[in-house]
Amino acid sequence: MVPCIEARSLNLTFTPKNRDPVTALQGFDLQVSKGEFLTLVGPSGCGKSTFLNGLLGLLKPDSGELSLNGKQINGPGQERAMVFQEFGLLPWRTVLANVELGLELKGVAPLIRHERARELIQLVGLESFQNHYPHELSGGMKQRVGLARALATEPEVLLMDEPFAALDAQTRDLMQTELLQIWERTKKTVLFVTHSIEEAAYLSDRVVIMTARPGRTKNVFKIDLPRPRDYEMRLTPEFNDIKATIWSSLKDELGTKAAGNGI
Amino acid sequence: MAFKSFFSDYQRLLLGMVSVIGVVLLWELVFTYVIPLNPFFFTKPSLIAAAFKEQLVSGTLWKDVAISSKAFLLGFSLAVIVGIPIGVFMGWRRRAEYTLDPFFTALYASPLVALAPLLIIIFGVGLTGKVALIFLLAVFPFIFNVFAGVKCTDRLLVNVVRSFGGREKDIYFKVILPSIMPYIVAGARIAIGRGIVGILVTEFYAASEGIGFAISRFGDTYRLPDMFAAIMVLMIMAVVLTEGLRKLETFLTPWKTGQEAR
Repeated sequence: MVPCIEARSLNLTFTPKNRDPVTALQGFDLQVSKGEFLTLVGPSGCGKSTFLNGLLGLLKPDSGELSLNGKQINGPGQERAMVFQEFGLLPWRTVLANVELGLELKGVAPLIRHERARELIQLVGLESFQNHYPHELSGGMKQRVGLARALATEPEVLLMDEPFAALDAQTRDLMQTELLQIWERTKKTVLFVTHSIEEAAYLSDRVVIMTARPGRTKNVFKIDLPRPRDYEMRLTPEFNDIKATIWSSLKDELGTKAAGNGI
Repeated sequence: MAFKSFFSDYQRLLLGMVSVIGVVLLWELVFTYVIPLNPFFFTKPSLIAAAFKEQLVSGTLWKDVAISSKAFLLGFSLAVIVGIPIGVFMGWRRRAEYTLDPFFTALYASPLVALAPLLIIIFGVGLTGKVALIFLLAVFPFIFNVFAGVKCTDRLLVNVVRSFGGREKDIYFKVILPSIMPYIVAGARIAIGRGIVGILVTEFYAASEGIGFAISRFGDTYRLPDMFAAIMVLMIMAVVLTEGLRKLETFLTPWKTGQEAR
């Protein structure tokens, strides 16, 4: 079976504004199956976000292979959509118009895209806010809009770049559970990036630990918790064992990074 | 109690009116009872009002306002049409910025009214010369404000539009244009002031009609009440334009309302 997403000995460099290019990924390998919820965890700057931008088609690999359903990724496409950490909502557009953005760029007729956007706004529970502007919404609501916008184009793969990092702890817990519910209903392939071990363990089928920069795959953990999962599961000893295992793999990388930076 | 809440609801308006009326009244009273008025050097509100009424009735005022407004609107519109695309181009294309910036910075910093004699030599004393100077004065605030606005465009939003398959055209129209709208309005505010200076300078310098010409002619002939009436008209025009711009701003940038304290 062809994996949905495949990266093989991938090298990716990116150039921060006014700085020298940085090798973010070197010899990176990853396979994600269709319908899987996979999370990348690694030290800051290990290339997690760079990888998502590569998958999204905004960055080109220097060498190696990066493919979706067996086809080389060449720029953005409808099968992929990203939920951004900083939301990335257009401030001059209402919730409805923001959710419609992808459909509009695809050239979908106004009536059809209104209807489709309304369905998704309902899915994320923002019916009564569809004519509000982003600045009138809370962080959690903004990210719901971000999620609805990504789902609106019916992508096969949902890329989520630390989507809940800017939210407060309670909103974050709530959004995680809602995301799982939506994922179970829509059965998308999700590639999720986070710094939180707890979040990774709670959401994922598999958690991939990455090394410090340049990022490679260090360990892959299969999370054998039953689904559907709920918040109480996070209070069990099994869940704590999983967290401890992931932490023991991750902590060496954090050390290397700190040593490398002379902190 | 009712009076108190009425006062707090309308205190901005009330205090504004009281201050304007108070100053006018003081001016009138001082030159009626305290300092004897020498009509060759100064004037007072009642005389200005009489002159204003006479000009209104005789129709000369309307003609001057129409002539000057036409030049202003043409020059200003041209500045909008030319300035915004140049600003966007300079802001989005680094090479365009490096090429054009020294030239435009020098022009923006210089007192362009110095070019008035040249423009009159080239275009003559009519409408074209006025439009040319108003355009030159008003175009740079648009160029530089739009340029700054484009530079401040959120890269994340550009990436969002790209990630959904947006092309260069979509980035211009769905990200850059809306995000520079407040900068365009701020540029327009500066351009209005500069444009009015443009009207005055050309009409002072060489013209046979228009509000600037009226002011200078009344001044030359010591008709101070008439001169003040014309200046007042110019002030009213400036206020109307600025207020109109404020209304236009809330219409063009509805997402900004409530975001900042007004």
